[in-house]
Amino acid sequence: MNALQEQTERATQMVSAPHRRRRARLPSLFGVLAIAPFALFMAVFGIYPVVQLIRMAFSDVGLVQGGFTFDFTGGRNLLRILDDENTLPVVTATLIFVVGAVALTVVLGTAMAVLLDRARFFQAFARRVLIWPTVVAPVVVSVIWLLILSPTIGVLNTVLTAVGLPAQGWLGQPVGAMASILLVDVWHWTPLVFLLVYTSIQSMDREVLEAASVDGAGEGQTIWRIILPMSLPSILAAAAVRLVLSVKSFDEMYLLTHGGPGNATNLISLHIRTIFFDQLELGYGAALGFSVILIYAAVGIAYAFVRILARRKESTHV
Amino acid sequence: MSDMATGVRRSPVGTVAGIFLVAAVAATIAPIIWMVVLSFQPLKNIIGTGLQLDFSLSNYRDLFAPGNPLLQQLGNSLVIVIGTVVLCLVFGSLAGYALSQLTIPRPVLFPLLALTAFIPLVPPMVVVPGLYALMNSLGIIGGSTGLIVLNTVFQLPFAALLMRVYFDALPGTLREAAHIDGATEFVVFRSVMLPLVTPGLAAVGTFTGIMAWNEFLFGLTMTSGGVTAPLTVGIASLVQPYEVAWGEMAAAGTLAAVPIILLTIVANRYIVSGLTSGAVKG
Repeated sequence: MNALQEQTERATQMVSAPHRRRRARLPSLFGVLAIAPFALFMAVFGIYPVVQLIRMAFSDVGLVQGGFTFDFTGGRNLLRILDDENTLPVVTATLIFVVGAVALTVVLGTAMAVLLDRARFFQAFARRVLIWPTVVAPVVVSVIWLLILSPTIGVLNTVLTAVGLPAQGWLGQPVGAMASILLVDVWHWTPLVFLLVYTSIQSMDREVLEAASVDGAGEGQTIWRIILPMSLPSILAAAAVRLVLSVKSFDEMYLLTHGGPGNATNLISLHIRTIFFDQLELGYGAALGFSVILIYAAVGIAYAFVRILARRKESTHV
Repeated sequence: MSDMATGVRRSPVGTVAGIFLVAAVAATIAPIIWMVVLSFQPLKNIIGTGLQLDFSLSNYRDLFAPGNPLLQQLGNSLVIVIGTVVLCLVFGSLAGYALSQLTIPRPVLFPLLALTAFIPLVPPMVVVPGLYALMNSLGIIGGSTGLIVLNTVFQLPFAALLMRVYFDALPGTLREAAHIDGATEFVVFRSVMLPLVTPGLAAVGTFTGIMAWNEFLFGLTMTSGGVTAPLTVGIASLVQPYEVAWGEMAAAGTLAAVPIILLTIVANRYIVSGLTSGAVKG
């Protein structure tokens, strides 16, 4: 994917757009057949589980011979979330992790992208190697970092002791554990931000940069005044992607800290798994999941509302 | 000399950037190399104090010893990857083509696009209780079939949307011309349009394959472990709270990571295209 390819693509789209608008409006049999498997998958596995989830969230669910029994309890499971002493620590841990992970990866990834674009040597090699962490399985990422952070065999403490610093119980202390999972997340996902921002910098119009240099702008000015503002949309997109991904985080914490010590790194996904599969509180686990979906729906509706308002404002101005 | 030839002015930023990059690359590679190195160390070197390095295959021998489920788990992961990739390629390219070139009835289109946007956003764990109940009643819980289905569900929106982008780049006149020559819709799709989006198929294939190979959450929650589990769950089971099989863990991690990294080197552009478009669409 290079700038040239993208431009050709855009050009082809522009050329072909009028043709497509003219095409027949009648749905064809083949069209219905082609979309059917996809639609079926989405309907069965997208809608039905949510219906089941809601049913479970409002019931006392039992397990009898591999099947479920439902006993309607109204909103008791949902109300219990408010009383549960674990709720606040889980929400706090999730928020700290999400804010920290998004901020750190976006800043570092953007810096990497800008610097790779400016670097004099090493570019081609770095561009290829830097994306390795994003393609390695999260479980393997945990293995890699367990071998480094482990209090018994971790190489980090060996290094710290060797240079005269005190060894740390990285994963065993609340602050150390949160710092550790943030460090692992930064290692894992900074490359994705880097890649998104770097791609957009590469597709920038080089003439703007040349013009700046002709007008006497230094490297620093070029970065702050031209490259960063011009790549802002891709930085925001990367931040949005990171937000979604960090709320989903599960694998690394499950292996590195198991949510502990205490609730220090007990992110929402870990909490739901523990409730549902370890404590077998099926209805309550489902209620927790349902409450997360409610939050997503609320955010989605608010977002759509703001967009509609903004559009209406625009049209009245015109 | 080369600077003068290209007209770039010499400034310290370029050099500083280069040094930063060397550091970033080192920080990226060093942890991976450390795992690979440890995977070839006998246990006494791993748990012993002080740095002592030998070369031993004992960890790999233990992993593939009779009675160890790892070989079976490796096979499960391969089956899951192949199944997921095939389903995503077939259904994803059909759906992408329909979304891009054909007219889909609106009452179907809008809920479908809403679901397609919704599924990649929500943390999979929040719907696991509902999925668990569904898989249970369908009777496909606890094995590779169920995991192929679930991986496909969560990869298919990406596959369809990426294929749509590739089909959008084809001129619409192509389809009309083929129609005038008397080809049926399916023949137009199969023989005219599909061969033109091979790069898209490659991107969808490599990317969904990697995601299925790396998947852990469904493997953990929808199988009972042991010989029914995929490789990632097998690796996780080596991490017990009180006794971690360090050497085997490093070796299994290496087995899971090295093929993917090799694939990244070979198919770099497809993975980059999958990561950039997939991430933005997701």
